[in-house]
Amino acid sequence: MKKLFLLTFALLMTCSIYAQEQTYQTLPSVDIKTIDGKTFNTKDIVNDGKPVIISLWATWCKPCVAELLAISDVYDEWVEETGVKMYAIAIDDAKTAARVAPFVNGKGWEFVVLQDQNWDLKRALNIVDIPFLCVLNGKGEIVWQHTSYAPGSENEVFEVVKKVLKGEPIEVKH
Amino acid sequence: MKYKYLISILFVAFLLPAFAQNKIGSGKVSGDIAINGMFYMPDSLIGADKVDSKVRANSWINLNYVNGNLTIGTRYEYYANPLIDFEKIGYKGQGFTHYFADYKTDFIQVTVGTFYEQFGQGLSFRAYEDRQLGIDNSLLGARVKVNPFKGVSVKGIWGIERNNFDFDYTKRTDFIRGIDGEINVDEWIKFFSEKGINLSFGGSFVSKYEKSSEDIYFILFPNDSLISRTGTIPASKIPQNVGICAYRMNFGYKGFRLEAEYASKINDPNNSNQYIYKKGEALFTTLSYSTKGFGISGSFIRADNMDFRSQRSISTNSLMSINYIPAINRQYSYQLLGNYSYSSQPNDQIGFQGQINYRIAKGTKLGGKYGTDLTFNYSRFHSIDKVLVDEAVENGTYHGTDGYTSSFFKFGDDLLFQDLGFDITKKISKKWKLALSYNYLDYNLFVLQGHGELVHLHHVTSEVTYRVNDKHALRGELHALFTKEDMGNWVYGMVEYSISPKWFFTIADQYNYGNENDALKIHYYNISVAYVIGTTRIAANFGKTKEGILCIGGVCRAVPASYGVGINIATKF
Repeated sequence: MKKLFLLTFALLMTCSIYAQEQTYQTLPSVDIKTIDGKTFNTKDIVNDGKPVIISLWATWCKPCVAELLAISDVYDEWVEETGVKMYAIAIDDAKTAARVAPFVNGKGWEFVVLQDQNWDLKRALNIVDIPFLCVLNGKGEIVWQHTSYAPGSENEVFEVVKKVLKGEPIEVKH
Repeated sequence: MKYKYLISILFVAFLLPAFAQNKIGSGKVSGDIAINGMFYMPDSLIGADKVDSKVRANSWINLNYVNGNLTIGTRYEYYANPLIDFEKIGYKGQGFTHYFADYKTDFIQVTVGTFYEQFGQGLSFRAYEDRQLGIDNSLLGARVKVNPFKGVSVKGIWGIERNNFDFDYTKRTDFIRGIDGEINVDEWIKFFSEKGINLSFGGSFVSKYEKSSEDIYFILFPNDSLISRTGTIPASKIPQNVGICAYRMNFGYKGFRLEAEYASKINDPNNSNQYIYKKGEALFTTLSYSTKGFGISGSFIRADNMDFRSQRSISTNSLMSINYIPAINRQYSYQLLGNYSYSSQPNDQIGFQGQINYRIAKGTKLGGKYGTDLTFNYSRFHSIDKVLVDEAVENGTYHGTDGYTSSFFKFGDDLLFQDLGFDITKKISKKWKLALSYNYLDYNLFVLQGHGELVHLHHVTSEVTYRVNDKHALRGELHALFTKEDMGNWVYGMVEYSISPKWFFTIADQYNYGNENDALKIHYYNISVAYVIGTTRIAANFGKTKEGILCIGGVCRAVPASYGVGINIATKF
């Protein structure tokens, strides 16, 4: 079993090294829904050449909601300064899907909210755990991504957005 | 030699990111790897038995290749020596569990291989997965989706449902086929779109075929009598095709929204319904209204004899469901309520759930500088009304009869679950954030978990977040559960220190201080550390997990007590 863990570690290290030099992935084309129940293709996630933030979350995921609350507090300033647009994609299934819209409105969030009920986008993006957040540049390429939320990590997201807007390279910090 | 496979997967996994760097042709490769491992130690007090294999792990790797309209992908799952709770439910084995080729344009999408799909809310059909929980009922077959006109979509599916790691499909005598259509009326009729009205209708038909070649025998003890009686339902009387029809609508105008789906199933004698011939039906509807800072919703669900599986005689613990009857109560992630989470009863439930979300605006006296979030919630679920049919009374058994009749909107006598909850979240300053909650719950242990009685409980939580600076934060939680029944009172405390975005350090303890048995007043402590770089997360924890019940997607599973060191690694590339 030792072998297994050693191999895994070697593998993960290698992956993260490769990840640094990897060409950017674009957002896969997947049909999800708007909160009005209409089909929405993820190709249509655009912001006139400006950066886009995408968050995958769920109403039952505490750190996800904490992250969205934190971003919501400063979202006005972010939009004003950079013109960024945020898409919050809920992965709630039929248990809680119908309550996403009242939940979001009840919190007064101004993000574009979409729904991925059967996890088609989550699978296409190879997401293991939420919260997951990524930043797209004006060409729709995923230039930065992150799993999990710790208070304060929203500041880093904004730094990335500002760099993307200026066309500066994004470093993956280690 | 059991590592042979694993090493070869790791080898492939090692190479693929290398390809990804340069791309293959004009396409791109992406994937994810996860390993959830545990080193088990025995602890007789909490009931963590000595396990035959101390080191266990659930692992998988997913790979997707995208080139223009074409996507191909696969997953290898290595659960040969899985975590104890997965072993107990029979989710054990290894192999390529997911492999597909998918071609998608705006007009058509064709998938061959294994796939996931959902019709409407899922009352008639849902193939889905939650791998962390060991749920995967994908179909092996083919799917076609067509969008012939704007606002119209049609889907067709055919396939054989996955049954854990049993890949011998040649032995299977069951398969599923279905069709689903949806039309958005507002994209056709100008009046609706001009008025800002959303209106769509949909419908689906799903049919399961399963060969019926053997009689079904049953033995039972009517009215708890010690004299058993036996019976037979001849194979010729068992329907080989079982169909389910569902109709749905969705209406939205300004902040109002109404969603409804109704499904009915023809006779489907099976193990879960004691082989009755009654038709099944389900209704799930939600009405909501929301405007900025305020949201209210009410949902109603009734499910009668709607358990629908690929194999009629399979155990009710299996995951081979074709449809999805959701548990619509509010989903909590509180540790102490884990044992008392409602599980959907696809054959027998009627109930409702209402919720209000309200935000007191910032800048007001009560809202303060940052605003205050309030949530109020109430739900109640009962068994459905049932009157046994004469034949069932005469025979002393449901088997082979119509079972019962039921009045549609009448609540049955058994209360299954009730939840009254209130919570408040408030950011006090740039540094401090506070959250408080209260719940009153009634939980029918006997019906939902097969033992015990009706449990009445109060549950309170408080959570404080203190931001030391831009990167460092301290979060503390204190929860308490009060009940005179079951295991008595519990308290839970947790402290987490995080250094954004990389480090998380956590210490937590659950203490069953109210247990009547002094020997069972146990501390279930846990310490953990997690490290995150980008999309790679590595976490280790040490401690005790209490024996419990995990309920998800209509299935409840026993989680055995455990003690030891856990390692979780997940990455995507």
